[in-house]
Amino acid sequence: MSEFLIRNAYVIDPLSGIKGEIMDIAIRNGRIAEEVGSNAEVIDADHCLTLPGGIDSHSHVCGTKVNFGRYMSPEDMRAGRTARKGVMHVTSGYSVPTTFGNSYRYSVMGYTTVLEGAMAPLEARHTHEEFTATPHQDMLANTLFDGNWSIMEAVREKDMKRAAAVVAWTLSAVKGFAIKLTNPGGTEAWGWGEDVHSIQDQVPHFGVTPAEIIQTMIRANELLNLPHSVHLHCNALGVPGNYRTTLDTIDLVPDLNDKRQSLYLTHLQFHSYGGSTWKDISSKSEDIARAVNNKPAVAIDMGQIMFGRTTTMTADGPMEFKLYMLHHNKWSNHDVELETGSGIIPVYYSRKSLVNCVMWAIGIELALLVKDPWRCMLSTDNPNGAPFVKYPEIIALLMSRRFRENEIALLDPRTAHYVPLPAIDRELDWYDIAVMTRAGQAKALGITGIGKGYLAPGAEADIAIYPLKPESLDPSAEYQQVMAGFGKTRYTIKRGRVVARDGDVVVEGANSTIWTRSTVPPGYDLSVDPEFMKKFEQYYTVRMSNYPVQDVYLPRGICIPTEASL
Amino acid sequence: MRVILRTKPRKKPFIPIEAETIIPQNFLRKNDVRVYEGNKERRLEEIFYITTEGPAVSPDQVEIVLSGETGNIKRVGEYMNAGRIVVEGDIGMHCGNFMSAGEIVIKGNADAWLGREMRGGTIRCEGNAGHYCAAGYRGEKRGMRGGLVEVMGSAGDFTAEYLCGGEVRIHGDCGDLPGVEMRGGNLTIGGHCHRPCGNMTGGTCMVFGRVHDMLPTFRGAGNEEREYRGQRCQMMLYKGDAANRGKGSLLVKNIEQDGLSPKKK
Repeated sequence: MSEFLIRNAYVIDPLSGIKGEIMDIAIRNGRIAEEVGSNAEVIDADHCLTLPGGIDSHSHVCGTKVNFGRYMSPEDMRAGRTARKGVMHVTSGYSVPTTFGNSYRYSVMGYTTVLEGAMAPLEARHTHEEFTATPHQDMLANTLFDGNWSIMEAVREKDMKRAAAVVAWTLSAVKGFAIKLTNPGGTEAWGWGEDVHSIQDQVPHFGVTPAEIIQTMIRANELLNLPHSVHLHCNALGVPGNYRTTLDTIDLVPDLNDKRQSLYLTHLQFHSYGGSTWKDISSKSEDIARAVNNKPAVAIDMGQIMFGRTTTMTADGPMEFKLYMLHHNKWSNHDVELETGSGIIPVYYSRKSLVNCVMWAIGIELALLVKDPWRCMLSTDNPNGAPFVKYPEIIALLMSRRFRENEIALLDPRTAHYVPLPAIDRELDWYDIAVMTRAGQAKALGITGIGKGYLAPGAEADIAIYPLKPESLDPSAEYQQVMAGFGKTRYTIKRGRVVARDGDVVVEGANSTIWTRSTVPPGYDLSVDPEFMKKFEQYYTVRMSNYPVQDVYLPRGICIPTEASL
Repeated sequence: MRVILRTKPRKKPFIPIEAETIIPQNFLRKNDVRVYEGNKERRLEEIFYITTEGPAVSPDQVEIVLSGETGNIKRVGEYMNAGRIVVEGDIGMHCGNFMSAGEIVIKGNADAWLGREMRGGTIRCEGNAGHYCAAGYRGEKRGMRGGLVEVMGSAGDFTAEYLCGGEVRIHGDCGDLPGVEMRGGNLTIGGHCHRPCGNMTGGTCMVFGRVHDMLPTFRGAGNEEREYRGQRCQMMLYKGDAANRGKGSLLVKNIEQDGLSPKKK
């Protein structure tokens, strides 16, 4: 099969401990090799920055709620239209583009693996169908368990092993990758018109608290030996003063795994607000960052917002209703039977709004104040904070204090009273950025075992070569170049094939979907459990036999098998 | 300047033509105007016989005349901001989308989405209009915002949905649910209609024919006299939609609760 040799690459590969060396990379049969023959095709990287393919550890790009965002926003679909070109399909949309639009734009930015942040188990088929139409990225699906009745009953009975069994059955049935908890308990409470406001509030009719759900699920996750930790969207998102809930949540986390963290807190920017109303909202990023720094068992992602138009979408139904009460524009809310819910609202983040300015500052502060880049991923919670095409701008903001100062000058002048950002000097370097955009993700998601996130021999040949020369470029001063460089790779290589070159996608893609299957002892096999089967007969609109996603939905599935220690 | 576009016979006349490029400002200079026939891009000369008469120095001096088999040419006049388009026959869907100024005259019938989300200017249709005449697109909360749409014949369902400014006059009948989600502007219906103005929050709708199946969420507020085509009519005034705490005005001449909404017919 094909052989490639990338010459003179300026490589940063944090997982292999390479911090910027000029070297050659050999590729054979889609994997990194020690060496290749003399007939190999040569790519001259010319001392350009060469990184493992980007990994987005939290993004909403596929699934029913993304699709609903598409059809409730015709104005978004009119933006960002591109015509058919070579192998590229027509694309349209800006914050919720077509699947091909997502795929091409990610690919042009050097991203080769994307994790869909929230998949409702009942609606998994549609998510998998859209995965196959996102051809240039390997996809993973976080599966929602926040309002799962069987889970909450197991939590009430303090039966951690049963919770693990429910997770094992569901993940393998819907071909999901990891456990996602979105406002645990809150989405179920929303079904009764209520919400939970702290981690000690009771979920109505179930008699459990979010704290119990989180703790049980963290332990159940380790019982199943899943690659990724529990992926948590904390309670009280977007509520002024919610940083206390976040701190309480971080306090709950035990350190159970020596390979990765035990809890992944997503879009933490939305969870770091001080104050008590929208009028006196302030940044509590220092408190949050201190708590994260002191707790090695926690990884976070930024959830940065960027100014402009976008669409918010989350499984957190009550939060979206609160947003609707602020905006009074179109909105949607949705309940998924015994599992979860969701909501969607288009929003506009404005520099004239003090609240938005504070939010903007908090995301950057978190990334700068968390000392260990391995535990703070770069994300916008695409498209909630901003569409992912803004990543290069965020990278430039993190690498250049001057750029930040220029941007702060454009904000509402009161912002400086509410945020510590103007006083923070730290500028991240190329290594930090490489960690925050791929290596950190690969470690936190636990996918280094299948060859993701590094460039040593044996790894998948997912490589991004950016037109940036770190040896001569000063990111602090030339941030415009950094932004342009990270926005458009010279080459994006996916599994040993050049898929994008200088901003154009050059091949039809063929991605894989990565999912996990835990083998449980016979006593914990829920496919024959009478009580579990009764749930389907009594409450679900689908039969249990029709529920699992058939293999035909994953034309190129990669299963990560685990052995549960139940 | 007058540009006359007469359609050439086509091998497959049922394939629609996407012609959002047919707007006066594009004909001011010798621009290369292209349209799509299905998924094939075509030069304008491949679809039309083109005759140009006289000069023009600004788009508002340009008049485009479309004649021949124009019934499935779509998006004519999209984003038009000056000048005049005359359609001798029928016109396809989405005529005059988002137009902000100028005039479109249609001598025949118009298909669906005539003047969708228009901002200003005038559209006159001498025949009938299809569904969603002067409406907002699906998922759009603000429909037509300004200008005038006048239809001498009838219009289909969802006429002036999400109307929030400007004026819509339908001299014939309307189908089901005209003026739903209205939040401003004026809607005048000369003929009959079904279930008008559900969820309306503002604006004024007048129905000079008969209203079938008036919605129960409107509150009577007395009588008013209005003039329509030189005749003074005594109208019943209703305020609503109460289900939406609306402050719109619905004036009707006759009501018939015959349960004959089109779905049941």
